[in-house]
Amino acid sequence: MKGSPGYDTIIEWLTAKDFRPFGFQEEAWTAIAQGESGLVNAPTGYGKTYSVFLGSVIRYINEHPGDFRSRRPDALQLLWVTPLRALAKDIARAMEEALQELGIPWKVGIRNGDTTPAERQRQRNRLPEILIITPESLHLLLAQKDYPRNLRSVNLVAIDEWHELLGSKRGVQVELALSRIVALRPDTPPAIFGISATVGNLEQAMEVLLFPLGGKGSIIRATLPKKMEILSVYPDEIEKYPWAGHLGIKLVDKIIPIIRESRTTLVFINTRGMTERWYQAILDAAPDLAGAIAIHHGSIEQELRIWVEEALHAGTLKVVVCTASLDLGVDFRPVETVIQVGSPKGVARFLQRAGRSGHQPGATSRIWFLPTHSLELVEAAALQEAIQENLIESRPPQMRCFDVLLQYCCTLAVSEGFDPDSLFHEVRSTHCYQDLSEDEWQWLTAFLHKGGKALQQYDDYNKLEWIDDRFRITSRRMAMRHRLHIGTIVSDAMLKVRFVTGGYIGIIEEYFISRLEPGDVFTLAGKNLELVMIKDMTVLVRKSNSRKSIVPSWNGGRMPLSANLGKMLRRQFNEAGALNSNSKRELRVLEPLFSLQSELSHVPRADELLIEQIETRDGFHLFVFPFEGRLVHEAMAAILAWRISKIRPITFSFAMNDYGFELLSDQPIPVDDTNVYALFSPEDLYLDIQRSVNSTEMARRKFRDIAVIGGLIFQGMPGEHKKARHLQASASLLFNVFREYDPDNLLLRQAYQEVFDQQMEEVRLRDMLERIQQSRIVLTFPDRLTPFCFPVKVDSLREELSSEKLEDRIRKMQLQLAR
Amino acid sequence: MQAPFSFSIAGQQLWLSPSRVIYWENEQTLILSDSHFGKTGHFRKAGIAIPQQVYQTDLQRLFSLLQYFQPQRLVIVGDFFHSTINKEAQLFARWRHDHAHIRMDLVKGNHDILDPSWYAGNDIALHHSLLCMGPFGFIHEFDASPGGCEYYFSGHLHPGVVMQGMGRQHLLLPCFYFSPHYAILPAFGGFTGLARVRPVKEDNVFVIAEHQILSLQ
Repeated sequence: MKGSPGYDTIIEWLTAKDFRPFGFQEEAWTAIAQGESGLVNAPTGYGKTYSVFLGSVIRYINEHPGDFRSRRPDALQLLWVTPLRALAKDIARAMEEALQELGIPWKVGIRNGDTTPAERQRQRNRLPEILIITPESLHLLLAQKDYPRNLRSVNLVAIDEWHELLGSKRGVQVELALSRIVALRPDTPPAIFGISATVGNLEQAMEVLLFPLGGKGSIIRATLPKKMEILSVYPDEIEKYPWAGHLGIKLVDKIIPIIRESRTTLVFINTRGMTERWYQAILDAAPDLAGAIAIHHGSIEQELRIWVEEALHAGTLKVVVCTASLDLGVDFRPVETVIQVGSPKGVARFLQRAGRSGHQPGATSRIWFLPTHSLELVEAAALQEAIQENLIESRPPQMRCFDVLLQYCCTLAVSEGFDPDSLFHEVRSTHCYQDLSEDEWQWLTAFLHKGGKALQQYDDYNKLEWIDDRFRITSRRMAMRHRLHIGTIVSDAMLKVRFVTGGYIGIIEEYFISRLEPGDVFTLAGKNLELVMIKDMTVLVRKSNSRKSIVPSWNGGRMPLSANLGKMLRRQFNEAGALNSNSKRELRVLEPLFSLQSELSHVPRADELLIEQIETRDGFHLFVFPFEGRLVHEAMAAILAWRISKIRPITFSFAMNDYGFELLSDQPIPVDDTNVYALFSPEDLYLDIQRSVNSTEMARRKFRDIAVIGGLIFQGMPGEHKKARHLQASASLLFNVFREYDPDNLLLRQAYQEVFDQQMEEVRLRDMLERIQQSRIVLTFPDRLTPFCFPVKVDSLREELSSEKLEDRIRKMQLQLAR
Repeated sequence: MQAPFSFSIAGQQLWLSPSRVIYWENEQTLILSDSHFGKTGHFRKAGIAIPQQVYQTDLQRLFSLLQYFQPQRLVIVGDFFHSTINKEAQLFARWRHDHAHIRMDLVKGNHDILDPSWYAGNDIALHHSLLCMGPFGFIHEFDASPGGCEYYFSGHLHPGVVMQGMGRQHLLLPCFYFSPHYAILPAFGGFTGLARVRPVKEDNVFVIAEHQILSLQ
């Protein structure tokens, strides 16, 4: 490549700016200039955008050495897929600047939810040479009649921040779109390049992306050392009964000096609700920060968010309290320090957030960990060790998502229609649907065409039509509705919040607001607001001076602990049982908690499983501490409850956190040292998994997103709420109906499959049970709650499982009366 | 058919069935509410493939109830048909034709928006707000003073109650809800959800536990 006109042009330009390319950038340019596919693995702040974008420019110059400055190709060259709207503007700006300085007359366009209709129309008539697009907007493009003409000319598709998309259904959307674009030019397909931060399964990450091209390509790694400093904030006194969320705010005084010493600080909070509280708490502790502090999360008005991002860029803010909404993206160079409040629950996420500081090449990232309850200090210790050992989580790709496939079929039916046979082969060229069977495909197309189980002559079902040997959607209404529903991010119904006097504040979950009465005061975007009324999907409020306020509890944001971190956590507890002066400080300060734990019960070593049985006013509790993370604990709790319920009719409610789980019953739980090993036996595991999933609510919860993505939930069109009302049914009701009347429905089966794949992974459960069989099970009978079991018990999210007759259960229960 | 549960109010003998109807013995009348017939069809017309067996099963259930109680009259306390006309209405019309001897009364609910001629064509007497029969009044949505009757039957809400037990156990179950002045009937239709009602001490609540009625208060 060196010596080629493209390379020389770029080097000349860079040299004039006093820049030199990194080795990995040159490597990527070479691959891209030769039309190869692959994946660039580089941390943010090292010019990963240039590594791919300039490669595409070099290739173009090499192909048009004589007239690359004088002529526009007049067709899309580079399609740039990014997961975040906020990223698009910055990337476009950087690209435009480079193109202008190079004198290349390409246009850069942005296509996402914020693109104006006028701009869309312009793009429709004449697409720019580079289009920056989100996965959702890419599918919207596929729902347009002339998409093949526009997309056929693409030479390179770049997938930015692929690690963020991989493992989610948005990633599946990308896979499907790639298979379509590749099939538009089967003999000379475009190249595909992913850009990804480090994940545990980088090879697989690339394979998934390049699957329609055969899966082969090269991984180009930026081997640039990133210096990182990890520090913990310690409470003055260790509370012996750790309560999630309870401690954090009390430590606010400890972070004020950190904020003052650093140019700009990002404070990452795990839930949106807590960001509101932290914003207030920081302001109360340091009123002089007013004007230099801002809040940033997904429910805040877009204009305000953009303002915050730009102020961060310019360095005019001292501190921003934020959620995962600032995980990605734009280079915020002024950020020197990051504070992580509460466990990040995964090594990769922690590293990513740490990387938001010290964004320049060579700078040090500095991150403080602030525990929200004292036991989280153990997680801090586990994180440090995991980072030392470079134990970064994998992102297993989603498989066989029927919901996304149904949506995709409708997308194509809206635009050009599809031939089921050729689409079947095309869809099977993706990683996600490689095992899709002919029967399943038949079922899916029939479901869309005929509507599943029907009473022939009494049916009005209407969706896909068979016209000119293709499945099509011809009703304009249905097509419009489908376009509005494209996407795989399912959120609760959201309502806009406005002042009675006008002025938009943000959006809020309907679920939260429906529990408030007019006159109640809640907090949003750092403001205390009094609910006046709800009208036309808008919450009308006025400013309140009340000190008492309800902070919205958003349902999202409860991330489970990753398996990697769980393993490290068990190791830390092993150390905690034998503390000495060489132990990590995070563990040493917890000494009072551990000694109370061992006094009341036991601190389990790595080769032990602790089970505590306690009787309280609530009933009979059984606490188990495998330290495997919330998701696995939920599965384990269901299986254990199922097995115990076979001994005698009994009803359990169960709760879990990342350290362990609790079974709670109104009668003594028949577990003792004669049967405990058998209850944790790997024998019959497969059958017990099936049965326990069937008797709990796990699949029902998964079904909610599936029903929305698969088009079963009608979300209404703007301005026709009344008409839509007759088409409303909750996911839970649909789940009941399908389970009773159409149990073979593939969307229903997908809900169960997602539970099996994501929570009940047989291999992982089997490994865990086998580990338990090898370990010593320690059964204790503490006379009061222990530091370990307390946080599980106060957790309010509960599941139930019962082997009693419904009638018998009701007879023991009380009708709940109005207050 | 599971045995109904005996309950009397205003000197009248009622039988509550776990199939979500009340049989009023004195008047040989079957009372139900919120059947939402045609709902599956309405969804299917919009491209949402709800299995029609739900509707078919509802009709069969109604048929067996008529066989069992042999009523003279059928009173529907609103939300009989879910929305605008569709082919599922024809299935009902056929059914109606086979049960022509039963007198049918519909007290209009918010969902009952079919053309009046359709009700007339199927021999269904339409009552716009209130139907009075002896001591009883039938009204879709109860409000404070509908006027005149001793006791009222309403629907609309699809009532369910929460049961609580030791060990933080919870259950939400459909119910027949009898307050001192009016009752709320459970929704008859199989494709309907539940709305939680909060009883007070003076109320009588009968929950539907699968195939049984259990009296709670």
